[in-house]
Amino acid sequence: MWLWNKIKQLAISFKAGVVTLRYPFEPRPAPEGFRGQPLWDHAKCIGCAGCASHCPARTIFLRDICQELRILLYDSSRCTYCGRCADLCPEKAITMSDRFELATDNRQDITQTIELFMMTCQRCGRCYDLEIKNYIDRLSALGYRYDCLEARKVIRRSTAEFSPDELEKTVTYERPGRLEK
Amino acid sequence: MSRAEKLRRWLEKELGGNLISAETPFPGRLFIDLKREALTAAASGLMNQGARYQMGIGYDARKDGRGFGLVHTFAFDRDSLLVALRTFAPGDNPEFDSLTPFIPGAGWSEREYQDLLGLKFRNLSDRKRLVLSDDWPEGIYPLRREVPHDLMPPAAEEVAFRLEEAPPGTSIIPFGPFHASLHEPAHFSVYVDGEDIKGCEYRGFMTHRGIEKLAQTELTYNDVPFVAERICGICGSVHAVNYAQAVEAAAGISIPRRAEFIRMVALELERLHSHLLWLGVAGHLIGFDTVFMQAWRIREKIMWLAERLTGNRKTYGLVIIGGVRRDINRESSRDIRSTLEEVDREMQALEKAILKDRTIHRRTRGVGYLSKEETVKWNLVGPVARARGLKIDARRDHPYAAYDEVEFEVPVADSGDVWGTLVVRVKEVYEAIKIINQCLDRLEKLSKNEPLAVELEGPIPAGRQGLSLVEAPRGEAVHFVLTGNENRPERWRVRAPTYPNLQAVPSMLLNNKLADFPIIVGQIDPCISCTDRVLVVENRSGKARLLSRQELENISRAKRSGR
Repeated sequence: MWLWNKIKQLAISFKAGVVTLRYPFEPRPAPEGFRGQPLWDHAKCIGCAGCASHCPARTIFLRDICQELRILLYDSSRCTYCGRCADLCPEKAITMSDRFELATDNRQDITQTIELFMMTCQRCGRCYDLEIKNYIDRLSALGYRYDCLEARKVIRRSTAEFSPDELEKTVTYERPGRLEK
Repeated sequence: MSRAEKLRRWLEKELGGNLISAETPFPGRLFIDLKREALTAAASGLMNQGARYQMGIGYDARKDGRGFGLVHTFAFDRDSLLVALRTFAPGDNPEFDSLTPFIPGAGWSEREYQDLLGLKFRNLSDRKRLVLSDDWPEGIYPLRREVPHDLMPPAAEEVAFRLEEAPPGTSIIPFGPFHASLHEPAHFSVYVDGEDIKGCEYRGFMTHRGIEKLAQTELTYNDVPFVAERICGICGSVHAVNYAQAVEAAAGISIPRRAEFIRMVALELERLHSHLLWLGVAGHLIGFDTVFMQAWRIREKIMWLAERLTGNRKTYGLVIIGGVRRDINRESSRDIRSTLEEVDREMQALEKAILKDRTIHRRTRGVGYLSKEETVKWNLVGPVARARGLKIDARRDHPYAAYDEVEFEVPVADSGDVWGTLVVRVKEVYEAIKIINQCLDRLEKLSKNEPLAVELEGPIPAGRQGLSLVEAPRGEAVHFVLTGNENRPERWRVRAPTYPNLQAVPSMLLNNKLADFPIIVGQIDPCISCTDRVLVVENRSGKARLLSRQELENISRAKRSGR
């Protein structure tokens, strides 16, 4: 009985053979529908901040560095690749690519930054995209209320003219960590 | 008369003026508000009527002027009924009666809120810290509202958990926090007399991540599923579905049929993958690596299937409140069927080859025995309980999604040892395959135009309670949601199946050989990160700084040389 079981086990093992893949020596493409690194299409993005306010991991930041320039920063180091940004983007500017080999020793390799030129609202002075109106409203219909307090704080930050300081702060942005005791 | 109605009448009679309200907002749940004095009477009454204790939930309701809330939940498995007893204590005197004298399994919940909320419990025998780290300062209770979610008190040197002295005649063998037989950090201080285990003390909660606090301070309703599924590396969908069900129940949202079946497919795929993973790990722990290799080889097919279906090797990112995000169309349904056929065939071959093997029998029979009475006493769940003759399964007893429409068996063994657990788990693999095939049949019949998720009309009303069960591969997982303002839950409590199961491990270890320690702990498939989920400091927040390689080297060297 004991021997018979061992023979069966041997048979299974031999039948399966070596299953180790030759990866990374042979490429192993991801299947269709895989959610890899999100990619932003610069031409389509309207700077509505929908992705920033719905990102569960809070890896997408938007900031106006001057009146007409809005910066979108995607910090991939903490991204969970849930694809929520791509779902909610009203312009379908975000695609979940099949890139998964993202290990790097330089954070900039996986960070994406987009500079967006925005128009200025003559009434309130804030930026918006002139061509297409009311996207914030359309966006809130897709998901939940526009309520990420942190993202909102970041978006509202705006100066009258180009400020190198704000650009610097955006690029080296750190989330508020420890509160004062 | 239904059980809920009976219970309500009984409570009215028994408690009189101490009963504030008893509501059934949706079938299968009974939410009871009590005065603090009546908690013991009500809880012991429920236990006498055959309830199974699930968990305690503490929360800070001082904002509404109600002090601290404490909810204890109970399950009546035969009547598909969950009962939640809620009491409040004033903020300046948060003292409750402990339930531990008659429900030992309530000890962890109570110690948890002693740590996190500063609640006090009369007659609680073990008052040691459970959740918080040893150098966490006294008097800061992280789940309280005024404590920010990212508070990082300075680390204290030379503070250690005070482990008990070994009983006379025994000596201590420490297992963990990092040990070859434990896959996640936990500390067992095992008392041995020669080779025999005479007792053990557990110190865990070392991977405490603060997810519940995060959900009630930072995240929004629809962010939480994506964080919830990262509570556990194995039962991701379980927690996401469970949370979504709790919110949907609280808000009265009913989700499309199609979404229910897709959720079930995801849950059962996870069960398949988890059982095969456990089988491999169990084989590895008893030194039978053929099982490990072959079970994991079969499991890999399921991981690839999940990758094709959901876009991630784990079934992550599938669930949102109100439904699911991805469809299973005819093509992927064919894909699932052919993969499952293969898995079924290979699993049967593997089962035949190993289940009669003497190696397994000698290492598992009679090991980690726990009697049925003890199992009931510690409120064990899942395959661990089913291996001890307890026929409980949330899928059958408290049907969620569409489990009441599919046919499946609940395998039970009565040997009460590791062997029973193994048999139950192997049998459940086939049941899971059966369920998935039935779900696919249904999905193919449903109209394709049905939406995958419902649109939400207006905000989710605040102050409602939702309680949801999902049978995770390891046992039943319970989620409690109290809806709040600001588009986020006021309180979200997760009880993973390991939480009750781990509490009974000391009893299972008793009088076994030390060499069997790994498999006895391994039989409950301890998911330490599920159990430790709740709170403390959020390390991932802001202060991450890029270190150059040189800096890192310098730091490590400084640490090593004690500078």
